[in-house]
Order: sequence, then structure tokens, then C-alpha cells
Amino acid sequence: MKNTLELFGRYILLMKVVFTKPDKKQIFWRQFIIDVEKLVLESIPIVAVISMFIGAVIVLQTAYNLESPFIPKMYVGYMARESLVLEFCSTMIALILAGKVGSNISSEIGSMRITEQIDAMEMMGINSANFLILPKIAAATVFNPLLMLLSFILGLLGGAIIIMMTGVINISQFVDGIQFSFKQYYVFYSMIKMAAFSFVITSVASFYGYYASGGSLGVGRSSTKAIVVSSVMILVVNLVITKLMLN
Amino acid sequence: MITVKNLYKSFGDNDVLKDISITYKPGECSLIIGASGSGKTVLLKSLVGLHDPDKGEIWYDKVIFNKLPFSEKKEIRKEIGMLFQGSALFDFATVEENVRFPMDFFTDWSDEQKRERVEFCLKRVNLINSNKLFPNELSGGMQKRVGIARAIALNPKYLFCDEPNSGLDPHTSILIDQLISEITKEYNITTVINTHDMNSVMEIGDKLAFIYKGQKVWEGSKDDILTSDHKELNEFVFASNMAKRVKELMKF
Repeated sequence: MKNTLELFGRYILLMKVVFTKPDKKQIFWRQFIIDVEKLVLESIPIVAVISMFIGAVIVLQTAYNLESPFIPKMYVGYMARESLVLEFCSTMIALILAGKVGSNISSEIGSMRITEQIDAMEMMGINSANFLILPKIAAATVFNPLLMLLSFILGLLGGAIIIMMTGVINISQFVDGIQFSFKQYYVFYSMIKMAAFSFVITSVASFYGYYASGGSLGVGRSSTKAIVVSSVMILVVNLVITKLMLN
Repeated sequence: MITVKNLYKSFGDNDVLKDISITYKPGECSLIIGASGSGKTVLLKSLVGLHDPDKGEIWYDKVIFNKLPFSEKKEIRKEIGMLFQGSALFDFATVEENVRFPMDFFTDWSDEQKRERVEFCLKRVNLINSNKLFPNELSGGMQKRVGIARAIALNPKYLFCDEPNSGLDPHTSILIDQLISEITKEYNITTVINTHDMNSVMEIGDKLAFIYKGQKVWEGSKDDILTSDHKELNEFVFASNMAKRVKELMKF
């Protein structure tokens, strides 16, 4: 418990240093664009593939479980949409990104720490935490909600494709279901969740990377810890935001 | 000029530096020598502010550096260049970008001015046609050269080198040593070098301080070191059988 509190205290202190005014705005924006490409754009392929397959599987599972003639087939589309927007496109994608992006960030910053690159920056008088971490947090928090939207659209597209391939229901019923009782607020809720998850992923991974020690083994350990801790934190934050926003 | 007064540093129960006092003058290559684990790197990192000393003062000319707030320390740090043991070049940047890095942060120079300065620094360390290479494409000696070029990018008043020869062959080591010495004299820089390489000591050591178990136990010139009868110093300097024989021959 004492260790956890100490760790949390160090995390807060690091964030205090991270969220200061960048030394040079021009350099911040340059890093921001690099990180948007590295953390967001390069995540599109994996998000796209997973979303389309999961969308297809959700449609098939829902269709096979709604065999009663009293339940309209359009509910397949409705339930697929709700599953995707409420949970899959934010929480599941965030857990996947915690692995992909989280390990990338913590190993990159951790390697810089053990090869004294961070010391070199500090020695020059540069706020290394601000330079290395702030653009990553900003890039992921601002743009990952758009990744969630993309995942939602591709999930539905995956569902539509599997329907056309298997004929499990009529495509027009699926489209009717997608449009049925659509609440825009759910999309907003999911985007907010994704922004919060992105903050957790990038800040936790950066924290473990920044304080990595013990050579390459230490970098590996910090990377693993970053993934485990950010995954658990995502689940906790998911619960809190759901309680606050859907109550 | 850098003056260190009664410096102490410990990590937990481990007292790494004990009552170190020393002065470093401009235009001189001052060497900190000592065995591995003697506290050399901790002393060097304390001098540049990467470690906060527990007690004592580090004066940069007329300012007590270790008592300054972060923002004022930053001003002094702009006048410091440092060559790290593993060069510490930024993996994400090319040779040119590495040297340009401190200029981007601390100057308002135009792109053209920065380019000219980068070219000058790289030429000064005899590194040409490598501007677009990344650190992992360079040899150890080339990495050290880029490290020196980056360290002198902003015309530093103070230069710190942590084991500049580690991992280099004897010939390249001497070239790097000579380069550091030339730059020190040319720009009247206060240079402090950490080393346990006796070739470096004899090649460029204007002033030497021997650290033993966290204490400065001997101070002198490279000529004094050969004739000193300090027990621990002799054990360090004349560690090999060949060196011991040379010492015996010198007695005659």
C-alpha cells in the first residue's frame, strides 16, 4: 500500500512537470505532429482489422441468439451498434492500444533513460519530461477519440459485409436496426471515455519509461508494468465514467 | 572557473562523496581519476546538476550553482557542454539534428545560421559527410565526435566529459583526447574529464585529482603522478606488471 501511494505520488509529481509551458512552442508542435503519426495514424491498421472482425462476429452471434420469430431481425443491427458504441470501440480498443502504444512509449522513453539521453537533455537545461511526454499525451488524447469513431464505423461495416456474405439476416433489416433509437449522446460518451483512456495509456507508459532503471531488462520490466497498470486503470476509469455519464 | 567546496553526496547509507574540495580553471583539462566505483561519475554529475549534493557548494565563477532555483540553473546550463560516457546521442535525430538540438531550444538563430554553426562544429571535430546519418549508423569514435560537436554547439564556457575514451581503441582514444584538449585551449574552456585511462592522463592532463573511496586523496600534475609515493595512487597508476617495472626502472 505504501509503495502504491509512493508510486502515485511520483506519478503526480511527474505530471506536474509535464504540464508546464513548453520551452518552445514550435518544437512542441513539431513533436506533436510526429506523435500523432506514430501513436494514432500508425494504429489505424490494427484498429481497422480488429473492428471489422469483431463487428462481424457480434452480428453473427446476435443473429444466432435471436431466433425467436417474435423479435424483429432489425434488433441484430440495433444490438451490434449498441455493443460497439458503448463498450467495444472505446474500452476494447483502448486495451489493445495499451499494449501497442503503451509498450512503444515506455520502451522508447526507458531506452532514452538508460542510455543517458534524458540526462543529456536535463543537463542542457531542457525540461525533458515536458519535451518527451506532453506531445504524446496531447496527440493521443485529442486524436484517439477519432480512432474510436473510425472503429465504430468499421465495426458496423464488418457486420454489414458478413450479412451480405452469409445472408444471416436481410441487409435492410440491419440498416434499420442501426438507425433505430439512435442516441448521439452514446457516441459522445464513448469519445470522452476514449480520451480519458488515451490519457491513462500515454501518461502511465511515459511514467514507467521515464523512471526505468537496470539496463535493457529494466526497460522490459517497465514496459510490462506500463501495460498491466494502464490496462487495470482503463477498467477503473471505464467504471467511473460510466457511472458518472450514464447515471 | 569552477570551485567545489566541501561536497558530500550519499545514496541511502552509501556515502559516495566525502568532503570534496577542488578548483577548475579555464583553458585547462582537469582530470578526475580513480577506480571504477570511486565516485567519479557522481562527482561529475553533481557538478552539472544531475545530482543534488547533500552538503557543500559548487561555484560557477561568482554563483553558487547548486543553490540556484531551476530557472537560474538553466541559464548556467546553457554555458555547459557535456560528453557522456555512451555519447548519449538522441536516437530519433540525425547527426545534424543532434548538433542542432541545443540551438533549436536556446537560440533565435535563423535556419541558415544554425546550418552554418552545425557545419562548423562538425568540421571542427573532423566529421564530414555524416550529417544525415543516425547514431546507430556511426562507429564509437564518430559518436564521440558528434557528442563533442553537440557539446560545443553553443560555445560553452564549461565542458564536462565522462569517460570520453570508454569503448574506443587506443588510437581513436588519443585522437578524441587531443580534440578535447585542442578545443579547451582554443576557446579557453574550463574542461573537467572523468577517466581511468592512464594514456589520457599522460596525454592531456593539465591538472589531476585522484578520488579514492569518495574522497579526494591526491592532487597534482601529470609529472607529479609518476613520482608520487601515495600508496593508493601508486596502486591505481601502476596496476599492471609492466607499469610496476617501469616504476622500478624510473627509480634508477
